[in-house]
Amino acid sequence: MFQSIASRVPRLIALVLIAMMTLIPLQAQESTGGTLLVGMNAPVNLDPASGSNDPEVLFNNTLYDTLLDVLPDGTIVENLATAYTISEDGLTYTLTLAEGVMFHDGAAFSSADVLFTFNRLQELESAALGLLSGGNFEIAAPDAQTVVFTLTEPNADFLYGLAGRLTSILKDGTTEPNVVVEGDTPYQNFNGTGAFRLTDYRAGERAVFIANADYFREGEPKLAGLEFVFIEDAQAQVDALITGEVHFIFKLPINQAIQLEAQDGITLLERATNQHGVIRIRSDEGFIGADPRIRQAFKLATDREELNLILQEGRAVIGNNDPIGPAFGLYYDATITTTDYDPAQACALILEATGQERISLDFYVVDALGYPDMATVLRQQWAEGCIDVNILVRPENVYYGNNEWMEVELGLTGWGDRPIPQQYLIEAYITGGIYNESHWSNEALDALVAEAGRTTDPTARAELYRQIAQIFATDGPIIVPYFAPIFGAVRNEVQGLEMAPFPGNTDFRNVMLGN
Amino acid sequence: MRMIVKQTFEVLRQLSARPLSLIGMLIVLLFLLIALLGPTLAPYPYDEFARDADGMVQRRVPPSLAFLFGTDQFGRDVFSRVLWGAREIIVIPGIATTIAVILGTSLGLLIGYFGGWIDELISRGFDSLLAIPALVLALVVLTTIGSSGISVILVIVILYTPIVTRVIRSATLSLRTVGYVEAAKLRGESTAFILFREILPGVLPALVVEAALRFSYAIFLTASLGFLGLGVQPPSPDWGYMVNEARETFSRTPWALWFPAGAIALLVIGVNLLADGLRRIFRYEGSLI
Repeated sequence: MFQSIASRVPRLIALVLIAMMTLIPLQAQESTGGTLLVGMNAPVNLDPASGSNDPEVLFNNTLYDTLLDVLPDGTIVENLATAYTISEDGLTYTLTLAEGVMFHDGAAFSSADVLFTFNRLQELESAALGLLSGGNFEIAAPDAQTVVFTLTEPNADFLYGLAGRLTSILKDGTTEPNVVVEGDTPYQNFNGTGAFRLTDYRAGERAVFIANADYFREGEPKLAGLEFVFIEDAQAQVDALITGEVHFIFKLPINQAIQLEAQDGITLLERATNQHGVIRIRSDEGFIGADPRIRQAFKLATDREELNLILQEGRAVIGNNDPIGPAFGLYYDATITTTDYDPAQACALILEATGQERISLDFYVVDALGYPDMATVLRQQWAEGCIDVNILVRPENVYYGNNEWMEVELGLTGWGDRPIPQQYLIEAYITGGIYNESHWSNEALDALVAEAGRTTDPTARAELYRQIAQIFATDGPIIVPYFAPIFGAVRNEVQGLEMAPFPGNTDFRNVMLGN
Repeated sequence: MRMIVKQTFEVLRQLSARPLSLIGMLIVLLFLLIALLGPTLAPYPYDEFARDADGMVQRRVPPSLAFLFGTDQFGRDVFSRVLWGAREIIVIPGIATTIAVILGTSLGLLIGYFGGWIDELISRGFDSLLAIPALVLALVVLTTIGSSGISVILVIVILYTPIVTRVIRSATLSLRTVGYVEAAKLRGESTAFILFREILPGVLPALVVEAALRFSYAIFLTASLGFLGLGVQPPSPDWGYMVNEARETFSRTPWALWFPAGAIALLVIGVNLLADGLRRIFRYEGSLI
């Protein structure tokens, strides 16, 4: 009996080996593409016309397409629009649309959908209009595959506007985009032309997508599926990545990034960006920042070098008092020097402006990306400069959701990366800008920003931005302590993933899983 | 008065006779002393960044003679912060527990003594409140009324008044028909006299044990809320908040987490040992919720 079994052992082993060899290729074949698991904060506002933070933009980019795309290096490439021409006077943009594109519900994509989307942006007064000439354009559809935008004056950034984060193309007649409905097809309102289709969505928990088999770009997406796992805590995201529960996380605080530097099987992604925290003082009438001396006192009381050292391990680029960072290349003027740390001078200015030795304010801080830590260091530095602050940390949904950040006297707001400086300037710093949180109004700045918007020559534009930065340095209501690099991390089995400077714009269409 | 002093000494004597109770009592005393004298004993202010001779911030310095518990990621002395934080972690739960015990005792005596529809109404109302998990209720209240020390006190009072009420009501129910209470009624004593002079001394054992337990839970709840960033704002030396801050840099500054977490654990253990000793002395076997 035993002999009989012993004689069969080699044959059994051989059989097992053959079975394994047969199964391994099958397994490999199944994992080609695979399902990418992304750990991220939960999106809150799912409307493509207004959901503007990273999770919201990533969610919409997965389901929808834009006419043009911005690559991580800032260049514009065609997408739903396969070609475009600009008239010599810079007032007419003619776009040719891709053929054979279908929405997830099977309807064909045409110029009517583009008209609907951009008219909707105008009706909603979406922030997307900032780079789209403030909405001062007309749109026409001569045929199903052509759209024509007509502007009233040249706009050097109009293509960036078309490729913006909030310009996802909706199907003509969509009334409630990204709203779950009762019934057999709960996700019928999540209807884009994008590379992935939504199959399951649980708010605050996860979103599950499968590849769109009818996607118009040949061979894309390479993944079979995509899953967003909503994890609010940064350390929990890191733990999920280490244990393999997710493949990719982004917007990591520096401490978590350093923790992952030496982790086997994981690659830390670091990108220089224009992302920055903005300390802003309300400067309209009735607020303490209306006096330029107070604004200057805050600048003098801020030690940027120390902030960079303590909070970013010296990895960030020291900022000026404006949002035009070094990642903008030609448009960044390194010769404009920051205000030197001089708390004694800050005290003198405060005494001169208020007649009091010290001032005291509430300091509202968004609870994201280590900004409470920045506030903690600032509180110590400012105390030396005769400024006492009471820190009030607010969750992101409270700070932004309740519009608190637009109202408070002193705040610390996180601004994500933008491909061009014009976007920051239009949204947050010109008179009446949609996100002008400091309520600053400077006529000279308004005129220069408008002129920069019309100027297509890069050198001339750079000169305008230099003048703008100068106004910020002497009169601006903001402090930008530094431009921080952005960190993400990816497991090594993920191939082809390039994190965008604004991580919400990361493109998963050419990402694959494999060993 | 002499009676109370005598009884107190007797309780202390009995506590000292039990090793675990003695340890608990000493721990609690130590922390009370720290809360009282901590800011005076602390070598640095809780929010000051330690700097070297060149003015450079001394971040992530391991425990040493200069910094007994090391410095955190900002260069703040962890030892000083732990000393400063003791006051917050003891005073807030202390005030809140006192209020909850006073309110809960008064309500428990009243509804236990009178019974009837008011007992039903309050008891069922409190039952519904107790059905909600403590932390969830705390989060709802704090996000509604805003985060501050007073809010945390309010949360603890809302959470623990029903529990104390329930315990005192239960003890009162068994006492309201005893002979000396009936005699007081026949003498025509006022309701207040009967409740506070006749019944209250009888429920005192339950009350003392309950108060000690509530204090222990309140400490833990305050630390939990601090950890979640509720009720405290930077640069607070709240131990829960310190644990949360240090958690993110644990791989590089583990000592910044060890000491506040250890302090919370030690204090809670101390209060629990003390409460357990009191329970044994008073032979109180009531429901410990």
